[in-house]
Amino acid sequence: MTPTPTGGPRPPGTVVAMTETVSEPAVTGAGGRDTAVRVRGLRVRYGTFEAVRGVDLEVPRGEVFALLGTNGAGKTTTLEVLEGFQRRSGGEVSVLGLDPGTQRAALRARMGIQLQEGGFVEELTVRETLELWGKLAVRPDRPDRLLERFDLVHRRDVRVGALSGGEKRRLDLATAVWGSPELVVLDEPTTGLDPGSRRRTWDAIQELQEGGRTVVLTTHYLEEAEALADRVAIMHEGRLAVSGTLEQILASRPAGFSATLPDGVTPPDGVALDGRTLRVSTTDLQRDLTAFLAWAAERGVRLSDLRAAPASLADIYHSIRTDSDTRSTREEA
Amino acid sequence: MDRIAALVLSELTLILRNRTLLTSVLIVPLALGVFLTFSQIDSPTYVVAMQVVFALGMGVYVGGTQTLVARRQTRVLKRFRTSGISDGGLLVGTVGPAAVLALGQLVLFGLFDVVAGLPAPGAPLALPLAVLGGLALVTTAALATAIVTPSAERAQITTLPLFFVVVASAVIVAVVPADGWPDLLALLPGGAIGALSRIAYGAPWTPYALVSLVVWPVLFGWLAARNFRWDARLAAV
Repeated sequence: MTPTPTGGPRPPGTVVAMTETVSEPAVTGAGGRDTAVRVRGLRVRYGTFEAVRGVDLEVPRGEVFALLGTNGAGKTTTLEVLEGFQRRSGGEVSVLGLDPGTQRAALRARMGIQLQEGGFVEELTVRETLELWGKLAVRPDRPDRLLERFDLVHRRDVRVGALSGGEKRRLDLATAVWGSPELVVLDEPTTGLDPGSRRRTWDAIQELQEGGRTVVLTTHYLEEAEALADRVAIMHEGRLAVSGTLEQILASRPAGFSATLPDGVTPPDGVALDGRTLRVSTTDLQRDLTAFLAWAAERGVRLSDLRAAPASLADIYHSIRTDSDTRSTREEA
Repeated sequence: MDRIAALVLSELTLILRNRTLLTSVLIVPLALGVFLTFSQIDSPTYVVAMQVVFALGMGVYVGGTQTLVARRQTRVLKRFRTSGISDGGLLVGTVGPAAVLALGQLVLFGLFDVVAGLPAPGAPLALPLAVLGGLALVTTAALATAIVTPSAERAQITTLPLFFVVVASAVIVAVVPADGWPDLLALLPGGAIGALSRIAYGAPWTPYALVSLVVWPVLFGWLAARNFRWDARLAAV
């Protein structure tokens, strides 16, 4: 077991550092009519600052796509381009077969949007807000159905300004799913919600998917992406660090195992200890763990705290951040 | 049209619920207009010009700018752009209620002026032209001023310069004898309102009033079309 540098093809059994990032996006998905969103080389610039730097995305119809990333990663800007609210400085974008930059009017009839925050007149009541929305919307729906669906019946005569943060997000979601649009774009739909409200929002998103709708959402919550999304992308500093189905992303990352060695025991060649704890990243967990256990058995070493686990989205997310921080520090130096 | 009507009704409801807006859009211009009617000022051109300029200037320009900025900063404009209403319809629906209230006030002022015994205008068509031209001026000016106004509260300040220019131009042109260079004052924003009030009461038609009537709304409209921001967030370039 020899640690190897990152990059290049890895044979089974090769141990790699836990902070490695696979930079090539694992984008898959059908093109053409089965694709709800297709983005190639998207670039967006605010003055001299380039917020989005060459993003490729593909979201098949009927799937839930989660865009993860840190604050300022470019998630909301990317969504705004899909919604037709921001100009792109480069790249191609197709949403439901239309260019949102030039065909926003046709697109909005088929798309529901939840903004990251705000968007309501605080002096109107919940009922008045939904009734007004019903008159402005293209797709028909019933305010009563949505009040009930999002547990707002008892708050219908309360002014929006007096709602809690969670209630406002539910009202927001109600307008986004109004009339069951083909594509629903949700910008951080559960930020600031209590567990109950978050659960209800997840249920609503799963219902949309079961109804054949496509959902594109941004989130800070890794467990949300794992629970809801068919396809995930992690965005960092305006670029997609990784993208694909959850299985593809996890399979592209090393799994790991760890154990605490007794005092005086030297670890296998090439494996460093952190205190008395040994940590190994590997692309072939079964083979390397078997070899490690055989090594321990031969020497009669008793391992405590032995743990083995596949890569998690959290590992990948943090490795992307760590890699970037390391790169920045190196560049500064 | 149904969508615009729904938005206008909703905005009217909101004006009635918001005391600050109600005061600036309805109560102050109404009080000033009624005061002018019964002030015993013996210049009908002055009274009419002031009534038009206050109803439109305070009600539509100041109130409209406040509403546009408030709706933009709270992202209401952005949300409504995701509905079925067109961008033009959204602007009409947002500023329209203030315009409807201003026109209602002007109708009331007309009735009060008749009751108070103000002389009837000799060329009455000049007055609707002053009102419509003034409405175009203050509406486009509200859209343009919203570009440089960061919050609804700041609209009280950012609207002041143009508001004073419009009021001063209308009043000066209404009372200064139309002869020689003072005629050029009609070219200022609001000058056409004063000039048309004077024309309504017997002064000769001046081309400057008509030029002013068209040029300023076109200029402010062009500025708004180029730079109007729908969202509090930065726009990409």
